[in-house]
Amino acid sequence: MAKYSWPEKPTLLGTPVKRLDGPDKVTGRARYTHDINRPGMIYGKIVRSPYPHAKVVSIDLSAAEKAPGVKATLAYMKPGDEVHYQGDPVAAVAADTEERARDAARLVRVRYDALPQVSSEAQAMAADGPKWSTTQPNTRAGQRAETGDLEAGFRQAGHIVEQTYSTHVITHVCLETHGAVCEWDGDKLTAWVSTQGVHQCAQGFAQALGIPQTNVRVITQYMGGGFGSKFAPDSQGIICAKLAKAAKAPVKLMLDRKEEHLDTGNRPSAFAKIRAGVSSGGKLTAFDGQSWGTGGAGAGSGFPLPYLYQFPNRRRVHTDVYINAGQQRAMRAPGHPQGCFLTEILMDELADRVKMDPVEFRIKNAPPLAPNAQWIKYFQEGAKRFGWDKRHATGDPTPGPIKTGMGVSAHLWGGAGRGSQAHVDLMSDGSVVVKCGTQDIGTGTRTLVAIVAAETFGLPVSAVKPEIGDTIYPFSGGSGGSTTAASVTPAIRTTSVNALDQLFAKVAPTLGVTPDQLAAEGGRVFVRGNNSKGLSWKDACKLIGTEPISVDGKWEDGLSSSGTSGVQFAEAEVDIETGVVRVKRILAMQDCGLIVDKLTAESQAYGGVIAAINFALFEDRILDRVTGQMVNPNMEWYLLAGMSDVPKIDIVLNNMPERGVIGIGEPPTVSTASAIANAVRNATGATIRSLPLHPHKVLAALEQERAGGTN
Amino acid sequence: MEHLTSPKLTPGVHCLSLRHKGMYVTSMPYPEESQFYDAYDATAYWCVETQRGFGPDGAPVRPDCCQGDRDCCKH
Repeated sequence: MAKYSWPEKPTLLGTPVKRLDGPDKVTGRARYTHDINRPGMIYGKIVRSPYPHAKVVSIDLSAAEKAPGVKATLAYMKPGDEVHYQGDPVAAVAADTEERARDAARLVRVRYDALPQVSSEAQAMAADGPKWSTTQPNTRAGQRAETGDLEAGFRQAGHIVEQTYSTHVITHVCLETHGAVCEWDGDKLTAWVSTQGVHQCAQGFAQALGIPQTNVRVITQYMGGGFGSKFAPDSQGIICAKLAKAAKAPVKLMLDRKEEHLDTGNRPSAFAKIRAGVSSGGKLTAFDGQSWGTGGAGAGSGFPLPYLYQFPNRRRVHTDVYINAGQQRAMRAPGHPQGCFLTEILMDELADRVKMDPVEFRIKNAPPLAPNAQWIKYFQEGAKRFGWDKRHATGDPTPGPIKTGMGVSAHLWGGAGRGSQAHVDLMSDGSVVVKCGTQDIGTGTRTLVAIVAAETFGLPVSAVKPEIGDTIYPFSGGSGGSTTAASVTPAIRTTSVNALDQLFAKVAPTLGVTPDQLAAEGGRVFVRGNNSKGLSWKDACKLIGTEPISVDGKWEDGLSSSGTSGVQFAEAEVDIETGVVRVKRILAMQDCGLIVDKLTAESQAYGGVIAAINFALFEDRILDRVTGQMVNPNMEWYLLAGMSDVPKIDIVLNNMPERGVIGIGEPPTVSTASAIANAVRNATGATIRSLPLHPHKVLAALEQERAGGTN
Repeated sequence: MEHLTSPKLTPGVHCLSLRHKGMYVTSMPYPEESQFYDAYDATAYWCVETQRGFGPDGAPVRPDCCQGDRDCCKH
């Protein structure tokens, strides 16, 4: 057996272990960045551009400086600078209360020279349309890919579908907004930040502020959601640190909900005009797609297209479109939900053309079965579990306004990790401390750290003290790309194995055996094959002496891998009189290699599915076409699912311990929207090729269907 | 092996202040990825100096912009 491997018969791995920090979270003891209060702390507030496009003419801070309680002011932009979106930061103030900071921010007088603005992809792409920037073009050629012989592929096609599909812009809507508390001690900065990467954030502070990275400590004990948008201090973090330096006091600067919508990232829109061919026998033959999308002001919008299915002859040409809106950031499986939707709706249309069941059609065109490609298995098993045989053909024939349908979709993700480091201390009183500079962004990483150490030492999870979320701990990567579990758990395993080896070396003489004859299980250290010959964990640790066993370790190859697959089934109900869609149930078939904690893995899948229901049915960043202002920068009109909107969700995890640990944060959120849209199509007979599935779109598609068809 | 979906930033060509998420997560390439889709770029970029998607000169930051003789570029 390799020195570093996962146990063949684990006692904890793959079992449902409750989050260690669950009680702290539900009782309010968990301290998020929002909860950090430092002695003498004051509050920062950013002054932002109300215009989506303008030149700054002047910034007058004098009135704000004289306002009651104001301790510091800062001009972030200077006259002549160009603002590119509503919410672009221009200046900032800090005062002794939040209210006074807001009052002072209102006293900052900024004169702007408003410029024409671009608030939609169509405006940006119009030949004579306004320009988003005084120096940059509205569009940029993106990636282009071509494989096979496109014309030959279309000649082989018995049927061709030619349509335009699209998805919309949504924001991350982190429940805990972005922000920081910054405190200086001379030239050393301590920053409590709502971040997905403490070490990465420290580097950002150091480089932006021009101080040594060793002078920066970043702490994130608890974090209320990031979804890809929290990897750097951002402008608000740097502003916070500068205000704290100027005021000689700790500053808290947490964004409000409007700022969060405007300036902390979003998922880009995606459009594609697609021409696709399928043979009479149901094999995909050709795909020709022109795609575009906007990532806001100067940011890209790429996504995979076609997605997953095997078009042997294909071409795809993408264009990035720039508008005056906040820039995109990575958002839970960047590009995949868009590419998945655009492809999966097309797949159902093609299946109908050849009169094949959508599951059968997908199986015929899916990549072959492999450890990282379980789609065919999931289509087959999922169809049985879901009752797919009860699915009717496109268009529910049931009388009355309520129509029901089923849909299906498939997805993939990489999820491999590397590079984490860890430290383990075994004390003579039997206590165990595991330190790792990762962070728990709500996914359960703290619990995973404890599970892996406890499994290795043969202890209950409660016997391990995991310490994470601080740059004083060994380096670990940012929590993104579904890489955390696959990066962190191997590091904890190898470090714990090495610490246990050192303990065995201390214990072996007492038991009269060699260290390699020892095992640790059930709270005991004993001779393998003779469980009665051993010591309790506590008694074994007494042999450590006064100097604890302290071991540093790191991620090693062989304990993790990459490549996950998933399939989701959806059943939806559509009221064809109101256009309202209700999701009745979702089945998610998913793998993530070796499951570390069944409970938190399932929790990731639940969260991913619910987030995608929001994407499908509710969320939409709406910009006013005339003013370029976001009309719903709140949580009242920016819609999210309520409890009654969440359907029955069944998660089926395929444990594949032989593959090692792979991340699961992103993949479960990819397919859901496509499966729901296909269920709506199956229910109504009308194809809605554009997300979100808001009632007005459903009604418009039904009207179009009655007038001659959407197909 | 390079990531299919992550851009390659080349020292000496691209500005050293250019950042993207892939530089901060300890991920590994997914070798079979190219079987399931063609290359694309969904990357969001930021400047480490400004900590936002615009450089010190106020223009957007991307690999195609952050190279050559752009005044704020650091090589």
